[in-house]
Amino acid sequence: MKTIKRASTLKAVLLAGAGLCIAGSAYAAEPLVKACAKDGQFIIGFSQANNAEPYRQHVNDELEAAVKEVPGFTLQIADGAGNVNTQTSQVDNFITQKVDILLISPFEAAPLTPAVKRAMDAGIPVIELDRKTVGDPGKDYTAFIGGDNFKIAEEAGKYTAKTLLPDGGEAAVLQGLPSSTPAVERLNGFKEGVKGNPKVQIVAEQAADWVPDKAQVAFAAMLQAHPDIKVLYASNDMMAAGALLAAKGAGKDVKIIGTDGLPGPAGGIEAVAKGDWVATFTYPTGAKEAIEMSKKILLDCATEVDKTVTVETTAITAENAKQLMGK
Amino acid sequence: MSDDKISPASAPAPAAPQKHRDPLALIVRFQSLIGLVLVAIGGIIFSPRRHGEILFLNPDNIANIVRAVSETGIIAIGMTFVIITAGIDLSVGAVLGLSSVVTASMMISGGFGLIPTILAVLALGIVFGAIQGTISTRFRLEPFIVTLAGLQAARGLALVVSGNQYINISYGDGPGLAPPVFAVLGERLFNNTVPVATLVFVVFAAVATIVLNTTRFGRYVFAVGGNERAARISGVPVSMVKIAVYAITGFAAALAGIVHAGQFNFGSANDGMGYELTAIAAVVIGGTSLFGGAGSMVGTVAGTIMLGALANILQLNNITPAMQLLATAAIIVLAAVLQSLVRRREGLGR
Repeated sequence: MKTIKRASTLKAVLLAGAGLCIAGSAYAAEPLVKACAKDGQFIIGFSQANNAEPYRQHVNDELEAAVKEVPGFTLQIADGAGNVNTQTSQVDNFITQKVDILLISPFEAAPLTPAVKRAMDAGIPVIELDRKTVGDPGKDYTAFIGGDNFKIAEEAGKYTAKTLLPDGGEAAVLQGLPSSTPAVERLNGFKEGVKGNPKVQIVAEQAADWVPDKAQVAFAAMLQAHPDIKVLYASNDMMAAGALLAAKGAGKDVKIIGTDGLPGPAGGIEAVAKGDWVATFTYPTGAKEAIEMSKKILLDCATEVDKTVTVETTAITAENAKQLMGK
Repeated sequence: MSDDKISPASAPAPAAPQKHRDPLALIVRFQSLIGLVLVAIGGIIFSPRRHGEILFLNPDNIANIVRAVSETGIIAIGMTFVIITAGIDLSVGAVLGLSSVVTASMMISGGFGLIPTILAVLALGIVFGAIQGTISTRFRLEPFIVTLAGLQAARGLALVVSGNQYINISYGDGPGLAPPVFAVLGERLFNNTVPVATLVFVVFAAVATIVLNTTRFGRYVFAVGGNERAARISGVPVSMVKIAVYAITGFAAALAGIVHAGQFNFGSANDGMGYELTAIAAVVIGGTSLFGGAGSMVGTVAGTIMLGALANILQLNNITPAMQLLATAAIIVLAAVLQSLVRRREGLGR
């Protein structure tokens, strides 16, 4: 009797155990990374689109700073050098190395999509920074973190309409490389922002392809045609720097707004602090947010993370520029 | 693994008879193979390990290396013909961009099928190259200048064809979609081990090796590069040979452009930027003389893979891209110096 009873108890325990296992796999989601651990050693691979752009260098710097704060994290940055073939092979190398998380700013969306899929298939969470590949966050890649170009430019537009030209006046826009997504979004965002004040007129808009020399030429021509331009919105800091040269050359006092808010002697924050421009609106790198998310996944064993994180812009004006310069 | 893949290319290359055999000349003849072996050994020694496995030798990693170099490799094969005739072709990277744009737009907006598209793009490459060759020979212009102009022309044409946009390639049946079979260029065959792009490279290299080493045309190419006047006197159709080699580089660039579009589902006027310089580097490291008259296909293939393996091992060890450029520079200089020493010993120094 005894033995039979014991056997049946054992059976019941086993059955219950099996039932729990099934329930467990059905209800409790697994962590995104199985090897996650509070005190583990982790490698984060970052596939950068092109180190040659000042903004992207700034992203690298911020990522490096953020990773330093986390013991156990090591950051590896590979420079795609503006070449989808190079960037693809670098992502493949990261997969071979079995990095614990892949961060990527794809140089182009469609060409890098298969490489991102290979990483996901290999069980590596992929956080896309600033630029997306094709597909949906949460499914084709783990998450997207970036700024919203339209909103950032809209903020600049509102600032123009309310603070710079409350009584109206002429404004001009320098656009980035035509047909590139951020150029279009920033142009439309600024236009939307100034709509709040019908007395503000946009009298000129020209493409200067993100570079200062073309911006200087274009803005000099604008000032010839429209000598009463009071505000210039430049879609990035480099073009704002070029526009400043044109304004100085023409002897005009134009209020210049940049975009990106890069640090360093050539960046927008210092230009605002010096009083050369009235403002610049940061295009946030999302570096801190990306490392925070990596901590959640690797250290806290998160089962899911926010699929899309939009990082807000900061308006840099004479009031806060000096204080932000050291950062 | 990689040895298997390059074996068709390294099929016995009948050595051109040489009178002065000294050890240095032998080293130069096989410098890129020696270099490849050295880089491979270095790769094994310095490779990061995971659970005792040497990552550098991981089959996936080898596949990554040979896939990444396939486009520049295809171009370098064509470039080898041109450089053996003492010419140069700077237009190849731009022709790759033009070809990938034309491939994408023919299939997506033109509604053409796979075969017509591929044939048309290859023909475009051949014609583009032949025009450059014709201008260069007819007006006795330096190929450097002619192909520099060709580079600008091809990039300009690519922008016109693409309307300043990049063209995404989506797959399926019906208008505006490309035949799904085209996507095979981005995949791996044989149990997910051999990248298709690499197969294209290997087959092209094998054909080129046979053409260069066993055909009359191949002998003409060496003759034109060795001594143009002597070749002319002995009845070699010098102009035709020259036009043909530029048609070959055009074909190679177009083929690489098709592979590019298929691998990345995408055509952009900016594709292949700077590839001409990587290809020239691979050819020079492969032991082909910029003065013409000497060179080998096997060397070019080995040089191409060596550059890829070097880039791979540096990234696996998280060494900065700056070091990669510096290492490549040192290798190019070393290869050129070795060549020049041999020329001097053989009394051919210029």
